[in-house]
Amino acid sequence: MSTLRKIDTRIPRTPLLWLAAALVFTVPPMFGTLSPWVPALFLVTLALKFWMEPKGYRLRLALWKLILTTAALAAIFFSYGSLKGIEPGVSLIVVLMSLKMLEAHTAREFHVMVMVAWVLCLCGFFLAQDLSIALCLLIAFALLLVALLQFHRGPSRNTWWPPLRTAGILILQALPVIALLFLFFPRVSTGFRLLMTPSSSAAAGFSDRMSPGGIASLASSTEVAFRAEFPDGKIPRADVLYWRGVVMSAGAGMEWRARQAPAALSPSALRPPAGETTRQRITIEPHGEHWMFALDWPVQPPPGALLAPGNYLWSYQSIRKPRRYEVRSFAQHPDKNLRQRERDALLEVPPSISPRARELAQSWVAANADPRVIVISALQFFRAQGFRYSLSPGEYRKNDLDEFLFERRVGFCEHYAASFATLMRLAGVPARVVVGYLGGEYNEFGRFLLVRQSDTHAWCEVWLPEAGWTRVDPTSVVAPDRVNLGFDSFLERRGPSAETNTGAFARGWARQPIFTNLRLAWQTLNYTWDTRVLSFDAETQEAFVANVDLTKVPPLQLSVSVLLGAGALYALFVGGRHFRTRSREDRVKGLYEKFCRKAARRGAVREAWEGPAHFANRAMTLLPNESERIGRLIDAYLKLRYSAQVPAGVFEDLTREVGAFPRGKQ
Amino acid sequence: MFAKACHPAHRARVNNAADAFTKQICEVIVGKADAVKLAVACLLARGHLLIEDIPGVGKTTLSQALARSLGLAFQRIQFTSDLLPADILGNSIFDRELQQFVFHRGPLFSQVVLIDEVNRATAKTQSALLEAMEEDHISADGVTHELPQPFFVIATQNPQHQIGTFPLPESQLDRFLMRIELGVPDRASERAMLLGMDRRAMLKELKPVFTPETLLEIQTAVRQVHASGALLDYLQDLLDASRQRHSAGLSPRAGLALLHAAQAWALMHDREMVLPEDIQAVGVSVMAHRLGHDLDQPGLSGRTLADALLHSVPVP
Repeated sequence: MSTLRKIDTRIPRTPLLWLAAALVFTVPPMFGTLSPWVPALFLVTLALKFWMEPKGYRLRLALWKLILTTAALAAIFFSYGSLKGIEPGVSLIVVLMSLKMLEAHTAREFHVMVMVAWVLCLCGFFLAQDLSIALCLLIAFALLLVALLQFHRGPSRNTWWPPLRTAGILILQALPVIALLFLFFPRVSTGFRLLMTPSSSAAAGFSDRMSPGGIASLASSTEVAFRAEFPDGKIPRADVLYWRGVVMSAGAGMEWRARQAPAALSPSALRPPAGETTRQRITIEPHGEHWMFALDWPVQPPPGALLAPGNYLWSYQSIRKPRRYEVRSFAQHPDKNLRQRERDALLEVPPSISPRARELAQSWVAANADPRVIVISALQFFRAQGFRYSLSPGEYRKNDLDEFLFERRVGFCEHYAASFATLMRLAGVPARVVVGYLGGEYNEFGRFLLVRQSDTHAWCEVWLPEAGWTRVDPTSVVAPDRVNLGFDSFLERRGPSAETNTGAFARGWARQPIFTNLRLAWQTLNYTWDTRVLSFDAETQEAFVANVDLTKVPPLQLSVSVLLGAGALYALFVGGRHFRTRSREDRVKGLYEKFCRKAARRGAVREAWEGPAHFANRAMTLLPNESERIGRLIDAYLKLRYSAQVPAGVFEDLTREVGAFPRGKQ
Repeated sequence: MFAKACHPAHRARVNNAADAFTKQICEVIVGKADAVKLAVACLLARGHLLIEDIPGVGKTTLSQALARSLGLAFQRIQFTSDLLPADILGNSIFDRELQQFVFHRGPLFSQVVLIDEVNRATAKTQSALLEAMEEDHISADGVTHELPQPFFVIATQNPQHQIGTFPLPESQLDRFLMRIELGVPDRASERAMLLGMDRRAMLKELKPVFTPETLLEIQTAVRQVHASGALLDYLQDLLDASRQRHSAGLSPRAGLALLHAAQAWALMHDREMVLPEDIQAVGVSVMAHRLGHDLDQPGLSGRTLADALLHSVPVP
């Protein structure tokens, strides 16, 4: 038995290595989307294969295969609760591929593995479509090609470069076809974004409720929230980059929430005011909620959204795929009137607020009843009473305003915004909380602003007579740099004493100009990929096709482009011919091989090791009718291939003689 | 037979001289045209020749015929197990009149050295030959002495299973461009030999075919025979294959030997370029003694391995 085991190893090591390399590159999209055990099992079996193959071990018994397959099916069922759907389906393919690796040992099975691996590449795109994933899968695809090439080249040629080059050439040749298919192949309306699984687009970012600790938990998330371009070229200063997300006007001390399904503002409020505007083109990442972001103040909602009370954009459908829209923001708030009913609603405070907080607010009113002075007093309170800004302020007992205001005095932006708004209401000033993003990282290469989840911020708006709604950011009093520098720089500025000092060193390195530039370039590429490739859906395609409609092009332009195109093709043709004459040796060889094929059909088969003169002699005796032609032919061939100087016309002789050599019957 | 288009005049002359040389030796060694041609190719390629066979098939006769026909001064050394390096290189002897040591040159100082039964000598003597064969000079008593030019070693040896032989080390074997075997003549040739003149007498009758200048001209012409890229591809494929298959593959020196021998072979067949067939014709003689030491395949002779190599590496 043991001797038997060692004999039938039939998959050579080099192609197996290429295949393994390719398989490793198919793994990244699986992490984070599939149950972690699935890619882990995949990698383990891959490693196992390399341990087993030299020893000749493999999965043989049908019973074992049956048991393992059943176990895998059960594991998938228990992990996902079903065998239907994208993720269980992909998991199934991955697991079966792992088992196949354990049993594979013939040439046929090697082919099966390569084919399944190609399917895995495709499945990778079902799971994620980032640029990095796409690059990974492209590498995997190319490596599979190399593995297949290497497998067919046989074991005698173990150099790694030729199959790699051939694979590269094949892919380059495929590029025009890829481009054509990309541009013109009809597609479903979602473009390349395939989000068939609601679970994978789980809510990212903040929700319609704000309670202590909610935003702080986002502070470490580097996920992209959205990207904004400024088509007019006006980039606002960092300290006014307040991106409105949602306005929360129902408050209870430290906890605030927004309206579930807001009604649209009355059309009168949508009248654009005079003054400066900032145009923004925003590409939003899916977050599962309804908010769409804009700088202060948006007045006209983009298609598919409404302007909710509080002047924030509210999408009719929750955002589950990336969306691109354009919005204009006005420097001035459009509405200068606050009706009594609205005013009452904005002054509501729950009865649970403690007398101590009420007294504090009343003391400011007693000092000066002017709302502006009250706001200043409140900010003065935060500044003077030793409040601290902290990412991890610790747990507060639910809704305990007093603990924050009078005892601990440590908080994150949501603590300040919530307590400030509550205090304003207690002092009789209409106030609300706005949750959104502050700042962002401007990318010089791509000319866009990248806003991450860690830029999430909460601030307040108070109603001042005459001025209307006015933004007040109590956090800026406690930690001014947070507003002026942006979140990352703010953390860095705080130095090693900051809570996140573990990453301070790495962060310092990441701030080196070269890394910053690389990072920005990478972000730009990602952005381009998202906006140009992934968002190329049916609509965009239609618009594109309509654009290239030839009937609309002026005839002169059309003829010029046709001429130019033909010229380019001709240049390519001539270049190609030039290139070919340089490798005439290959053409001579090709002609000789053609002659050998023709001779073989007539019974004179050349052995691979046989030299040309030797073969010609044999062929002349085997095919006496053609002996003269063979003599002339081989004479020309030997001169072309082996001699130092080739007289003119010999190549043409060879071409003619090979062409004239009768093909004969099979 | 093919591709004789370019005929520089002197190539024809060179070729005629080589032909005459071969013909003369074939008169002495009957029925062994192939072996003789290989031997001639070896000398024209400026290589040392090793002739291996059982006693009595004409090894010494062939070597003597070659030496005499070359028209060069030659010496014969019979190797025995008690032969010492000084016996072949020479001795320093004290001269009373001059009051100093004077080096007396040994039999190695000759243009052609015939070594009979080279594998009967001990390793010490064999290694003394090494320097002479590769460097064309010898060292004795710390002084380097140049050997006369041209310098050929034509050695004969008995198969190694015979009693009283010391196998030549690989380094020594590698310095022989070719090893050829004669084998027993076929029936008709043997009859001709039995009826014909005494071989010893014939040897004495042999006249030199070449002047030293002609020999030099031929040897220069050999190196000028064209080896194209395609041919070198084939040659290198052979070398690569030997290195992949055998623990001791062919050395770069073996590659050069193969090329030079094939060039000589092509010239002898009146061709201005080397064909893969030339390499195949000289291949076994050049490669067999170099491949015979494969530890992985102790049962197979070098001849079998070389033959297998030539019959499996495709001609590109």
